[in-house]
Amino acid sequence: MTPGTTAEPATRSELPPRPRTWPRRTLIVSALAAFTVATCLPAIGGVEIDLGAIAQNWRRGAANLSALLQPNWAFVPRTVQPMLETLQMAFVGAAIAAALSVPLTLWAARPTNPHTPSRLAVRAVINVIRAVPDLVWATILVAMVGVGALPGLLTLVLFDVGIVVKLVSEAIDSADHPYLEAARAGGATQHQMNRGLALPQNLPLFANQWLYALELNVRISAILGIVGAGGIGRLLDERFGFFAYGDVSVIILEILVVVLIIEAASHLLRRRLA
Amino acid sequence: MTLDTRAEAGTGPASAAWPIRLDGVSVTYPNGTAALRDVSLTIEAGEMVSVVGLSGSGKSTLIRTLNGLVPVTSGTVTVGPHTVTGLSGRRLRQVRGHVGMIFQGFNLATRVDVYRNTLVGRFAQAGALRGFLGVPTAHDRDVTLAALDMVGMLDKVWTRAGSLSGGQQQRVAIARALSQEPSIMLADEPVASLDPPTAHAVMGELERINADHHLTVLVNLHLMDLARQYTHRMIGLRGGEVVYDGPAAEATEADFEQIYGRRIRPQDRLGGRT
Ligand SMILES: Nc1ncnc2c1ncn2[C@@H]1O[C@H](COP(=O)(O)OP(=O)(O)O)[C@@H](O)[C@H]1O
Ligand SMILES: [Mg+2]
Repeated sequence: MTPGTTAEPATRSELPPRPRTWPRRTLIVSALAAFTVATCLPAIGGVEIDLGAIAQNWRRGAANLSALLQPNWAFVPRTVQPMLETLQMAFVGAAIAAALSVPLTLWAARPTNPHTPSRLAVRAVINVIRAVPDLVWATILVAMVGVGALPGLLTLVLFDVGIVVKLVSEAIDSADHPYLEAARAGGATQHQMNRGLALPQNLPLFANQWLYALELNVRISAILGIVGAGGIGRLLDERFGFFAYGDVSVIILEILVVVLIIEAASHLLRRRLA
Repeated sequence: MTLDTRAEAGTGPASAAWPIRLDGVSVTYPNGTAALRDVSLTIEAGEMVSVVGLSGSGKSTLIRTLNGLVPVTSGTVTVGPHTVTGLSGRRLRQVRGHVGMIFQGFNLATRVDVYRNTLVGRFAQAGALRGFLGVPTAHDRDVTLAALDMVGMLDKVWTRAGSLSGGQQQRVAIARALSQEPSIMLADEPVASLDPPTAHAVMGELERINADHHLTVLVNLHLMDLARQYTHRMIGLRGGEVVYDGPAAEATEADFEQIYGRRIRPQDRLGGRT
């Protein structure tokens, strides 16, 4: 320190240079923008959005819309049985998935499965299950086991297992688990630690995702019938085929009400768990 | 001290105390940090010993080599009749079952009740089938409840561990270690997260375990007055090397300055009980 610099406030310490993030951010944003524009270019087989067709179909659309706005209430009794089948698929599927998700999740997370090859194998299987869209699973399973509720149920189980295992195992991975270290120090096996501590400690995480899976199931199972996988979706598809828009309208309203009720109940339960 | 009379009265509960031996133990972590350098020492059965040193001096590493949580790079570690070095799987878990350990952060499963947290101490004793199913025996239950009673936490047996105060959590952690019916008790900075009165209470608990249960107790501390008050022998670590080994009560300020490698500061003492 030379005497000349004492004019500056002497206590002010050096501010570290702010890290430069804008070049990275600019690069990412422009790449995303370029990709979006590219997908709309017909020259490279991009998505074609034909605004003319939308205008042309407007008249017919308006007519159908007005038919939809006049629900045929007399149709309600015929929807009860398929709706019950849909709900059954949703609940049973969620329950089976919940049971399967416990061991799979604990095998897929590092703190509960330090053995890397088996952990990676479970994760790979889960990623494959998740990569296939639910309607594709339903179509494949209908082809394999035939039309009905069974392929729908299997689709929901696969879908739920994919969601629960991925989300819960990632949550377990990202948290600290000092209690496992204490149990290891006391001579416990990994299985004893998982069963006695990791599972009860992380049960709220599981329960949250199980309920979420149930919510999604009610929504998805309503349309699985379109590819022949049972439930209310099958009836929806059939009434559409007959252009019975009054019946379709009843079915859609019913799905809406059931989904809202299940979501509200699940939301309440999840709030109590947290 | 009363070491001899205690050894005579050695009809304590369950197991007898074990001696500890380190022969030329070095630990170098995978990232190249040499945490212990050629440490050799012998601790007799039933001794109450503190390991003192600044943060980073290798205290945790030393204590973790005793139950194989940290593998040694060279040298041998012996606890009681077992050579820990080179053990793995079932044999290592059996040895760990005889070595209780408590931690700075208590390491309890916070969403799990006190009973199930304490029962973890019985895991190493479980047979294959009971271990797999997670079903404790009546004896496991008795030992667990007796351990909780010993630390005055029996009335909280069904409370979630996370809702207890720090001092109560550390008592439960001590009960978990006691329910192992161990031959050695290790404590890694057990009071560093506690306020002074609670810290003294927990140190008093360790003192009592050493006196009443005739256990070998090895406790890591970074505060000089706790080492002086509660332990009989003190091992000073600096840069992974033993720089002091002698009686704790008579250790001078100069001895501590040598261990710390600097002058004594106010924060090197806890204060409180005189
Ligand atoms: N898992 C680890 N990997 C790499 N280095 C470690 C690890 N654990 C501890 N160390 C390093 O080893 C040295 C001793 O650490 P530690 O035994 O925790 O000391 P203390 O308990 O006395 O604070 C420190 O330099 C620390 O940074
Ligand atoms: Mg430490």
